[in-house]
Amino acid sequence: MNSSVPWREARWPAPAPSAAPVPFQTVPSLFSANGFTPATPAYIPVQARRSLAHNKASHPATNGYPSQPAMPSTESDPRPRMEFPPAVRSYVQRCFAPENQVASVDTKEMQEKLRFVITDAAENHKLEMIDWERLALPQVMIQNERNKILANPSVSNWGMSSQPSSPGDASRKRKSTDIHQTENSPPWRKANNNRNRIEDRVTHPSTEKRPRMTTDDSSKSKANLEMRRRRFEGAGATYGNSGTSSPVDSPARSEPDQGPVIGRCQKLEKNYFRLTSAPNPDTVRPLPVLRKALDLLKKKWKQESNYTYICDQFKSLRQDLTVQHIRNEFTVTVYEIHARIALEKGDLGEYNQCQTQLRVLYAQSLGGNPTEFKAYRILYFIYTRNWTAMNDALADVTAADKKNEAVKHALDVRSALALGNYHRFFQLYLETPNMGAYLMDMFVERERLSALAAMCKAYKPDVNIRFITEELGFESDEQTARFVLDHGPAELLEERNGSVRLLTGKAGLVFEQAKAEAHRVVDIKGQI
Amino acid sequence: MGTLATEFRNAYNNGSGPGLAAVLTPIATRDDPDRLLTFYNFSNPAYLTKDLNTSFFHGKNPRVPKAEQHAWVDIFAAYWEAVGEILKWEAGHPGASAVAIFTAWKKVANAVIRGYSIQSGLPAWSLPCLYTVGKYLRTFAIKADLQVASQGSSGLDFQDDVAADFEKNATLEDAARVINRMFTLCLSDRAPIEESRKWGIYNTTNLLFKTYFKINSVGLTKNLIRAIRAQSDDLPPLDAFPKSHIVTFEYYLGVIHFLDENYAEAEEHLTNAWRLCYRHANKNRELILTYLIPCHLVTTHTLPSNQLLAPFPRLEKLFRPLSNCIRTGDLVGFDKAMSAGEEEFVKRRIYLPLERGRDIALRNLFRKVFIAGGFEEAKDGQPPIRRTRVPVSEFAAALRIGTHATGRTRVDIDEVECLLANLIYKGLMKGYIARERGIVVLSKNNAAFPGTGV
Repeated sequence: MNSSVPWREARWPAPAPSAAPVPFQTVPSLFSANGFTPATPAYIPVQARRSLAHNKASHPATNGYPSQPAMPSTESDPRPRMEFPPAVRSYVQRCFAPENQVASVDTKEMQEKLRFVITDAAENHKLEMIDWERLALPQVMIQNERNKILANPSVSNWGMSSQPSSPGDASRKRKSTDIHQTENSPPWRKANNNRNRIEDRVTHPSTEKRPRMTTDDSSKSKANLEMRRRRFEGAGATYGNSGTSSPVDSPARSEPDQGPVIGRCQKLEKNYFRLTSAPNPDTVRPLPVLRKALDLLKKKWKQESNYTYICDQFKSLRQDLTVQHIRNEFTVTVYEIHARIALEKGDLGEYNQCQTQLRVLYAQSLGGNPTEFKAYRILYFIYTRNWTAMNDALADVTAADKKNEAVKHALDVRSALALGNYHRFFQLYLETPNMGAYLMDMFVERERLSALAAMCKAYKPDVNIRFITEELGFESDEQTARFVLDHGPAELLEERNGSVRLLTGKAGLVFEQAKAEAHRVVDIKGQI
Repeated sequence: MGTLATEFRNAYNNGSGPGLAAVLTPIATRDDPDRLLTFYNFSNPAYLTKDLNTSFFHGKNPRVPKAEQHAWVDIFAAYWEAVGEILKWEAGHPGASAVAIFTAWKKVANAVIRGYSIQSGLPAWSLPCLYTVGKYLRTFAIKADLQVASQGSSGLDFQDDVAADFEKNATLEDAARVINRMFTLCLSDRAPIEESRKWGIYNTTNLLFKTYFKINSVGLTKNLIRAIRAQSDDLPPLDAFPKSHIVTFEYYLGVIHFLDENYAEAEEHLTNAWRLCYRHANKNRELILTYLIPCHLVTTHTLPSNQLLAPFPRLEKLFRPLSNCIRTGDLVGFDKAMSAGEEEFVKRRIYLPLERGRDIALRNLFRKVFIAGGFEEAKDGQPPIRRTRVPVSEFAAALRIGTHATGRTRVDIDEVECLLANLIYKGLMKGYIARERGIVVLSKNNAAFPGTGV
C-alpha cells in the first residue's frame, strides 16, 4: 500500500481524531456548488470545469483524479461553509482507520466511494437521517458490490427450462462437442440475424473516440489487446471530460451501486479483458447478442478446436453476463459448456472457476445438469485431495442424487480410493460416465503407483505382469511394462516361462518413493 | 446507577477483573433483576458523562489516571446506550431491533478497545472486561443476523436491498473484524509480561475461532495460529494460562488439524483438551470426544469403551453401532451403520475418518478366518502352531457372511486379494500372497495380526 497518505492529495478529511471540520468544506463545493452531478465517481472532472469558470490558470490535466487544484478554487468559492455533523466525521475517520482497511480495496477506490456516499447524502439532505454508525464503510460497500457481482446477479425469471441430459454415449469419454444442447435457436432469432447490421449503423455518442472493433479482433495479438485497453481508457476519458455528456451516456457509472449495466455492444466476438473499473455499456453485449455469440463459439469449437481462443471468448462471455447480472438458464449453459471444454483440455483452473459458479447457479434451480457436475466436483476434489471441500461436496449430495448414475459412480470412486480398493477403482475407471474420465485421467497414474506399492508389498516373490495389466486398467502388457520402466530400472522385470514378471521384492521401494512423489499436494491456479 | 457505580468502585478497588466484567455484563442478574433498568433510569443523555464521572471517580479514587477515567466513562456511556436498546427490545418496543443492539454494543467494544490502546489507559488486569464485551458482541451479532434474515432486508439506505446468501452472516463478519482487533490488541502488547495484555491472547483467539467456524471460514483460523506462533517466544508457556482458555484453544487446534487430516497432531491437541477439561463440563467433553474418538480409530485403531461413552447418550448413539460392527468384523453391518449415520457424520465432518474403520472391521473378520483355521499338527510335543497358510478362498467365504449370496453379489477373488494386499500394505496383517498357489502365507510366532495376540 502506498504510504504517502493519498487522501491528503485528494483533499480528504484528516482521519486524526482532532480533525477540524475544515477539510470537509471542500466536499460540497467539489460536487454540488457548480451544480455538477456526481456522474462518474471514478473520474471527477471538476477541476477541469472549475478552472474554466473561476480560475484562468489552467491546471495540467491529471489522469482523471482531482488533485491539488481543488483547494485554491474552493477558497474563492462563494458558497457558505458547510459543517458536517460529528457522526459523519467519525464515519470518515473510521474509513481511514488502519484497522478498517481492506487489502483488496485500494485507498483511491475507497475515497471515491466515500466521496459518493457523502455527496449523495448532502445533496439529498440525508446527512441527519442516515445512521452513520451502522452504515457500512465504503471499502466494505465496494467489497460487497464485487461479491454481489460475483455471486448474486439478480435472479431472473427467465424460465426454468432445463436441458434434457444427453443419452449415454457409447464411447468412454464424451467430447464436449457431443453434449447435446437445447440451443436449436428458435426461428425468430435466426430471422433477426440481419438486425445486427441495422444496429451497427446506430451511432453511439462516443464511437469516434474508439478504434472500431474489427472482425479479426479475435486474433490474439498483443497489439489488439493494447488497442483494447486504450479503448477502455478512451471511453473513460470521454466520460470524465464531458460536462455535457448526456445522462444516457453513462447510466451505470453515475450510480455505481444502483443496478447492473445494460450492454449495447453488438459484436459477437470479444476478447477478454479484466475490468479495473466499472464496465462500459458500449463494450458489453446484451443477452440476445450473447446467445448468438455462444452459438458462434460452439460452431468454432467444433470446427477449429482452438482452446486459447475459445477460453478467452468464454471468459468475456462470462464477464458480460456477470456485469449485467444475467442469471438464468443461459448463464448455466455458458458455464457448463465452458466447464466441459476446460475439462476436455485439462485446464482445471478454469474448470474450477466454472464449477464454483455452477454450484451457486444450481442452488437457484435454474436448470442445467446439476448431477453431472456434482459428480465432476467429487472427482475433482479427489484429484486435488481437498478433504474439507470433499466433505462439503458430500453434504451437498441428496438421496435423489445418489440414484443418478454419474453421482453414484463418483461416490463409489471416492470410497474405493478411501479404502485403497484399487481393484474396484480401476473397474470404475473403465466405466466412467460423461466426461468424468478426463478428471480421472488426472489421478489415475497416481493411484496406479499407490496400487503397485501395495501389490509389491503383498505379493511375493513376483507377480505376472498380465495380472497388473488387468487389475490396474492398463490397455496392454506393453503399456504396463513401459509404466514400470518409467519409474524403475529394467531389473525389476524378468521374463520367465513365456511371461513377464515384476520382481516385487526389488520394486517395492521404487514405487513407494514414486507414490510419495505423486501424492504431493496438487496446486492448481485459480483454485478457490 | 448507584448500585452499578458501587459495584464498579468495589471491583476496581479490589483489582478484580472478573468483578469489573460482571459490571459490564449486559444482562440482569438473579439477585438484581432490575439491574439494567435501574442503571438506565439513573441518567439521561445530557448528563450521562457527568453522572458517570461523579459516581465512578468522585471522592477517594485518586489513583485512577485521568486518561483511564475518561476511558471508563466512555465505555459506560456507550454501555448506557446499549442498555437502552436492550431494554427497548425486552419491552417489545416497536423501534427496538437486534441490529440496533449490536450497533450499540459495537460502540461499547470500540470504546473498550480504544481504552486499552491509549497511553496509560485500561490496566491489563481488567482484561475480563474485553472478554465479556467480545463474547456479547458475538452473541448480539448472531441475533442481529437472524433478525436480518427473517426480515429479508437490511433496511439501510445506501445498500442494495437484495439480501443474498453470502450476506447471511454480514453482522457476524463485522463482529469478527472487531474481535480481530481485540486479538491484535492482546498479541501486540509490549508491556512487561506481568502487566501485559498477552494474557488475553488465548481467550480472544478462542472467541475468533468460534466466530470463524460459525461463518464457515475455518481457513482464516490459520492466520491466527501463524500470528501466535510467530510471537511464541514472547508468550508465557501454555500451562501458565488459565485452564479455561487453554482447553478451548487446544480443542479448536485439534479440530483444525482434524479437518486437515493431520490425525496425529489432532489427537495430541484433543487429548490435551480432554485432560484439562473440567470433569463436569459434559457438553465440552462430548465435543472433544466427537473428534477424539475418530482420531483414535485412525491413529491407534482403538474403539471407545462402554464406560467412556456411558455419560454421553448422543455419542453412544453416534459411535456404538459402528464400534460394535468393527469389533465383530461385521462388514455388512458396518456399511449399514455408516449409511444410517451418514448425514450426522458428514455434518460433524467425521465421515471420512470413520470410514477408515472399515479396514479394522475387515482385519477383525480375516483374523477370525485365521483363528478358525486351527492348528497344524503338533510335532514332537512342541506347542502347537497355527495354520499359517490360508487359502484365499477362505477369506472370500468370510466376506460372503451376512451378504445374501446370490450369483450377482459373488465375491471376486481378485478383489479379495486386493483387500488382503491392502491390509498387508497397511501393516494390519503380516505375510504375503502367493498368487499362483492361491494362498496367503501368514507370519508365524503370533505375529500374523500385529497387536491382536495372534
